[in-house]
Amino acid sequence: MLIQLFRGKVALAFKVIVLALVTGVLITLAQSAFAQEQYIISLFLVATIALLNYTYFSKKRVPLKFFVPGIILLAAFVLTPVLYTLVMSTYTYKTGNYISKEQATQRISALALEPDENGTAFDIVVGDYRNEPALLVSDLNAGSYFIATTKERIEIDASVLTIDEYGVATAASDFEALDSGAISGSDAAKLRFKYSDPYFIAVESLNVGVVFRQSLEYLAESDQFKSLITGDLYSDNGDGNYANLNDPSDKLEPGWRDPTWFSNYLRLFQDDRVRDPLVSVFIWTVVFASLTVLTQFAFGLFLALALNKPIRGRRLYRSILVLPYAMPSIMSILIWGGMFNTEFGAINEILGRQIAWFQDPNFARAAVILVNLWLGFPYFYLVSSGSLQAIPTELLEAAAIDGANPRQVFRKVTLPLLLQILSPLLIASFAFNFNNFNLIYLLTGGGPKNQLDGEIAGATDILISYTYQIAFGSNVQDLGLASAISVIIFVIVASISLYGVRKSKVLESFS
Amino acid sequence: MKNKLFKGFVVAAAVALSAGVVTPVHANTEIVVWADETRGPNIRTALATKSSWVSGYTVTVKAFANFDALKEAIDKATATTGPDIVVGANDWVPTLAKNGKLAPLTLTASQRARFSSSQFYDLSYKKKLYGIPVDVNNVAMIYNTKLVTTAPKTFGDMVDYYKANKTSKSLKAGLCVAGGGMSWGAHSVFSALGADAYYFNADGRINKSKTFDPNVFGSNVKKFLLDGKKSNGFFPASDAGCKDNFLAGTVPFAIIGNWEWTDYKDKGFTMNLMPVPGATASSPGKAFGSVSGALLTSFASTRGVEAAAKSLLVDFFGSTSGQVAYQKVEKRPPAEKGAATDASVTDGQKGFGASAAEASIPQVGAILNGPSGKSYWDSAPAYWTAVLTDGKDPVAEAKKLRAIWSANLKGAASDI
Repeated sequence: MLIQLFRGKVALAFKVIVLALVTGVLITLAQSAFAQEQYIISLFLVATIALLNYTYFSKKRVPLKFFVPGIILLAAFVLTPVLYTLVMSTYTYKTGNYISKEQATQRISALALEPDENGTAFDIVVGDYRNEPALLVSDLNAGSYFIATTKERIEIDASVLTIDEYGVATAASDFEALDSGAISGSDAAKLRFKYSDPYFIAVESLNVGVVFRQSLEYLAESDQFKSLITGDLYSDNGDGNYANLNDPSDKLEPGWRDPTWFSNYLRLFQDDRVRDPLVSVFIWTVVFASLTVLTQFAFGLFLALALNKPIRGRRLYRSILVLPYAMPSIMSILIWGGMFNTEFGAINEILGRQIAWFQDPNFARAAVILVNLWLGFPYFYLVSSGSLQAIPTELLEAAAIDGANPRQVFRKVTLPLLLQILSPLLIASFAFNFNNFNLIYLLTGGGPKNQLDGEIAGATDILISYTYQIAFGSNVQDLGLASAISVIIFVIVASISLYGVRKSKVLESFS
Repeated sequence: MKNKLFKGFVVAAAVALSAGVVTPVHANTEIVVWADETRGPNIRTALATKSSWVSGYTVTVKAFANFDALKEAIDKATATTGPDIVVGANDWVPTLAKNGKLAPLTLTASQRARFSSSQFYDLSYKKKLYGIPVDVNNVAMIYNTKLVTTAPKTFGDMVDYYKANKTSKSLKAGLCVAGGGMSWGAHSVFSALGADAYYFNADGRINKSKTFDPNVFGSNVKKFLLDGKKSNGFFPASDAGCKDNFLAGTVPFAIIGNWEWTDYKDKGFTMNLMPVPGATASSPGKAFGSVSGALLTSFASTRGVEAAAKSLLVDFFGSTSGQVAYQKVEKRPPAEKGAATDASVTDGQKGFGASAAEASIPQVGAILNGPSGKSYWDSAPAYWTAVLTDGKDPVAEAKKLRAIWSANLKGAASDI
């Protein structure tokens, strides 16, 4: 009966409908991505559509039917971010260097309009004069009127104009005004109308024209900007900006994302402002992850050993000990943060002291370890309890018969066997805590740090929180550098995980 | 099988087509405005008071869930997804302009005259203006008339009151920061004690070389805020609990934000607002009198509505009638001069406006934002922690503070 659900016409209809819906959604997304010029995403979605339909409408690819969703999700949400981060780590990608070179060049050209000294502006009417885009301009200060086309400026006597109560000309012979709704998107809004060289009039808003001059000219052949005021040339400096050839510190903005290969990686070693905090953060990250694993394992094992023997209320104790694990960690961290508050925290109340837990580096680190111990010991309690059950009692009895006391039995028999079983989990826990962003961000924010002494990284910052700070922690973001650090973290964690996987083979042989 | 496959694709294509049909198409007679969850609906209400603010164009306002969501959206916006105008914080201007997301606008002399010239500092970057000042964002000091009968004239008056009444009235602090945090909100305290973030020349331009005297500032901190090496309790290093304590009557003076003055009014406090008094009576502390801006984006040009968007900026966001209509619902002090004096503007709005007029300093993001970890925003609270919590020497720490602010001022010299 159950098998029938997966076969026959009903199943086929269900498959067609689900695939149609998925395909429909993906086509819409691909179309949207294409419209937003996100061609790689669009291509990926099209490939996904083809793969899904080919797999599920084919009778031959049965194993693939099970793997395809996982493969697609892995590619979309794991491999792509990793590749993107890797690529971005080779770019100058930071505040001021955010857009493409083409967009940056357009923006620089658009910004290269300078109003005249007086900021001269006129009331204008946008329209056509003898079938040419033109402005009917009222110079109220001078009491004069003229029509400006792109080629000429024609003075017009007020007597032949229609003028409103404010003295603004609204109509002239041979001049046809555009509807205001058509102005913004019209050619006239983009043109430069004759005024007095080098100045011209440009449409600023629907009824105001401003006198500008062009301050920079783009030289497409040499890919340079030339200042029309000083004559200086600005060339691509290879770091995402056009820079003045006479003064490289004089750069045009905005810049663009520019491939600079390994410069972000080199900065990690060569730039003191990056290298010094990075070294201290790396050391603390290793210490933090190691101490976390050590304390969580030790405490979890201690409790597991204590409850390994039949005692009254053992089930209740076991249930209570698992509670911290069942509670959402974010809530626990925030509650602990309140408890460590210097002024009104419960911990200082109990201790009867005014310890500045989050202002002193050592206290802050201790608080971080303590909170993480609370969050993680139930896990090790659970796995240790399970592992203790797996150790053959014959071994323990044999050791006892040979004259070993309980402490020796634990040290010489139980612990080595436990470590052999739990090594992969300990390694995995180390890798997890190496990137334990939530704890640091929510509990201490990476602090404390003495900004007045120029400290960039906080005392409890680990690599991932430090990276976050570089990427998003201030108004000045350096995503390229943050990507480079992320790649290094990835390599470290991947290496540790790989080591863990190899250790798992030890477990297999033991089993 | 081929037939089934074909049917599947037909259904899929139909679904895709129907989704495509409802995809919004951006007409070039539509001006899109982005704002946060409170400003967005209020702008919609204000726009509805007139049939059309820009003839021939409709205005669509998109409200985001909160200010951070709006910032994130504008950071990630592209020409096809972004707005034509975004109503946001003034300190967004340097970053967004650097990233090519904003477009400059040029105002006529009469349009500029509607605003205080210092307000344009907030919305300018590299001498180009990127938006219209919409409302004043500032803090002012309020005092509890049930505790203090007359307004203090100097910082010392407040400290003396606190010391004399600390025990008898169970005061938890003398002055605290309830709005704006220990960097933005506390600038008036820095300033009152002699440390402005930057100074101005007589011509109204920023003095690019002058910074505060750390000896004077440090000595004032020692004199007014410390008892030996420890804090005397007058001014806490943290803003935690300030608002509640003030409302409970255990703090006589508090720096409050103009976005929350109704909370105090509702609890029966009169809007006796003033700048933080200075070390001397003639030198009140300057609060950041920053403005929120309606900023023109570069996307408006891409979509061919730049001129219309500029008209909306000038004729709605920058006009007396537009700001009056908007501030009737938004209830912040209007930035535009005509709107600021309009009869419909309430006491609270006027009180903050008057305080800003008496002692304020524009918020120049190019100087204040600084490099990571060394911005004004990072270093200012660090000073209070170092001196009031960690017991470090106020003069030595002030010297470090000045070094950071001075470096930021020099770093921004070409941007201001």
